[in-house]
Amino acid sequence: MSSSLEGNRSILVVGGGMSGLSAALEAAEAGFQVYLVEREPYLGGRVARMNRYFPKLCPPSCGLEINFRRIRNNPLIRTFTLAQVEKIIGEAGNFDVTIRMMPRYVNERCTGCGACEAAAVTKVPDPFNYGLSSVMAAHLPHEFAFPMRYVLAPEILGTEEAEKIKASCPYGAIELDMQPRLFDLKVGAVIWATGWQPYAAEKINYYGFGKHRNVITNVLMERLASPGGPTGGRILRPFDGKGVHHIAFVQCAGSRDENHLPYCSGICCLASLKQATYLLEQEPEARATIFYIDIRALGKYEDFYVKVQSDERVRLVKGKVGEITEDPESGVVTLQVEDQGSGRILKEPFDLVVLATGMVPSTAVDAIPSDPRVALDAMGFVLSEGGIPGIYGAGCVTAPMDVASCVQEATAAALRAIQATRRG
Amino acid sequence: MDPKNISLEMRDYIWEMGAETLNWCMQCGLCTNLCPWRLVPGETSESFNIRHMQRLGQMGMEGFEDEKSLFACTTCGTCQVNCPRGVKIIDNVRAMRASIVGAGMAPGSLRPILGSAHANGNPWSGPREKRTEWQSGLDVPQFGPDREYFLFVCCHSCYDPRSTKIAKSIVRLLTAAQVSFGVIGVEESCCGESMRKIGDEELFQKLAESNIGLFNGRGVTKIITTSPHCTWSFKNEYPAMGGEWEVFHYTEILDRAVQQGKLSFSRETGKRVAFHDPCYLGRHGGLYEPPRNLLKSLPGCHAVELNRTREMSLCCAGGGGRIWGEVPMGERFGELRIEDACARGAEILATACPYCVNMLTDACTSLGRQDALEIAELSEVLSRTLS
Repeated sequence: MSSSLEGNRSILVVGGGMSGLSAALEAAEAGFQVYLVEREPYLGGRVARMNRYFPKLCPPSCGLEINFRRIRNNPLIRTFTLAQVEKIIGEAGNFDVTIRMMPRYVNERCTGCGACEAAAVTKVPDPFNYGLSSVMAAHLPHEFAFPMRYVLAPEILGTEEAEKIKASCPYGAIELDMQPRLFDLKVGAVIWATGWQPYAAEKINYYGFGKHRNVITNVLMERLASPGGPTGGRILRPFDGKGVHHIAFVQCAGSRDENHLPYCSGICCLASLKQATYLLEQEPEARATIFYIDIRALGKYEDFYVKVQSDERVRLVKGKVGEITEDPESGVVTLQVEDQGSGRILKEPFDLVVLATGMVPSTAVDAIPSDPRVALDAMGFVLSEGGIPGIYGAGCVTAPMDVASCVQEATAAALRAIQATRRG
Repeated sequence: MDPKNISLEMRDYIWEMGAETLNWCMQCGLCTNLCPWRLVPGETSESFNIRHMQRLGQMGMEGFEDEKSLFACTTCGTCQVNCPRGVKIIDNVRAMRASIVGAGMAPGSLRPILGSAHANGNPWSGPREKRTEWQSGLDVPQFGPDREYFLFVCCHSCYDPRSTKIAKSIVRLLTAAQVSFGVIGVEESCCGESMRKIGDEELFQKLAESNIGLFNGRGVTKIITTSPHCTWSFKNEYPAMGGEWEVFHYTEILDRAVQQGKLSFSRETGKRVAFHDPCYLGRHGGLYEPPRNLLKSLPGCHAVELNRTREMSLCCAGGGGRIWGEVPMGERFGELRIEDACARGAEILATACPYCVNMLTDACTSLGRQDALEIAELSEVLSRTLS
């Protein structure tokens, strides 16, 4: 046990979304050295791509901004973007972690002036907007990106354009020969907060996502409604850019379904209620219909549900939507569903359909590279018991949850990590 | 609203007949909305709601026995493979039908069918001794210890004049592919798949026992079937009763023969061919590639995919005993299939099931499209191009 007393007291936080940011700050502000590793070129995770939070309908940018300032002001936090954990060996109090950093092709001399973007001509799909729009091959990941540093798309490497982009930078910040880099970190504990991924809606073949252009998912709806999104915040049909007068939300799109995700993600009902307000605020004459099995708005969220429900432009219909078809000429999407209230089978046309897809834990896709492996449940969520001492899940890798719960969970994980560095 | 009578005995009886997952249903209604009956207008479409029917079954409530609803399901399986709770909806339908048919109350239109299967071992009112008549003019080998596969020809292709062409083409193809096979003949009985789906459990047991005794007695270990309904029944229903063989649909055997270079097609097809996935081959059997591989191996064949294809294939409406149902024009699923195939410029609509051929041919004729679109069994398209 003596070794644990000499154990490393620093903490590795994997994932720079709301859970990872919170855990990193809680641990650092308690006086512990923290390394924060994020795969994307920016911090903020899924939350950065949200338009607004429920139930207050405030934008996530202010909360993120506060967290970024706390990080900037805290010398105990070191962040690594475009970085992934490759291997974890050792034990609580003494982990040896291998990190792989992917090349950004832009070094820390970048001031965010945008000269490189002006020199670029090639456009690539914008991952921040889930490919709904495109960006220049030299771009800022998003408007309020932290760190505020440009990134180059690897597609243009070796071209004349890349050289022009390099020449355009007055600060010598473009490094076209940057290579992936491996390095080691010694830490006492690990917090795994890699978050979630939206369920792949194209797997629900009867809804035609990916085939019908006016069928989108709830994460895409956040981008469509966001001022920084592909339409500048106007909710328009992807089919023809026309306005949306009647929108449908399909709840449990793949959730509570043995063929897809057998569990309830607990946030999709609230997300759809929230997203209905996005449209109604922009288009006062518009209408929204939410098709559901059960509306799940637990605890304090009941009030938000009741508030949206009382808007006469919002209609809630109990019934699981069957097939969705799209008219190839007009782009009108027709939903077929049995209204369980009346027993009538409805076939209704809509301008836009939003599939309320659930959360898949990132650990179901990319496992924690530790030896032995961290225990996961059948769905890929990190189990709180029976794991490896010193490695803790936080946020949506442990269960589907909303942002507020993620922050709480992250705080708890920070405490457990601190304890692990002390006790070994 | 009138009070409804709940019968606990009925509920238990349905459960015993095989509706073991009936109470897993949470009444979401996905089944009703993926049901192919929603794609056509008419009285059956309006009265048949599979969710509602199962609800009545759950409660043992009267009303489900209405013929229009109870015998409407084609057992296509679209609802079942997508059910969020994994409810075995077809077993539930079968069990509910069994509660009526088992009590001697089969619909009038189905009684001659069941009677013929009882008396002749086939539902097509064909005398047992004429089961092998389709073989005239062909040298079809007898199954024996020297033969690797037993070829089981579906009753439909033994007796229906149009359908016998399928049996003949399959024999020609298997011979060309040098497959070692043989038939048994008049002692064979209907596999009973559709009889069981209609709800005649006793008849199914009788047919299956007869076949199992016969096949095992002759030393059968591997079976080639001509119809995916027989394939499915032999694979999924017979093992529990002592019939355990390796079972293949003929398209699997031919696909393998082509890949091994034992079978090739030399004559140009030069046609646009759409393939209709039979429910029992695709959704129930998981076989989507063998028929497509075979079409691809035809010289000059332009394969066309239909709108609803593979897992989402639209049923021909011939399963679950519906091949014996009367459906007015304008309400037949097959008509949608014909329209789709024509819209895609197909000249041949090929399938790999005798029931589908039957249903699609009827639909094509009722739409008057027989000059523009040929309905063919895949084996017929293939055997034409043998040199």
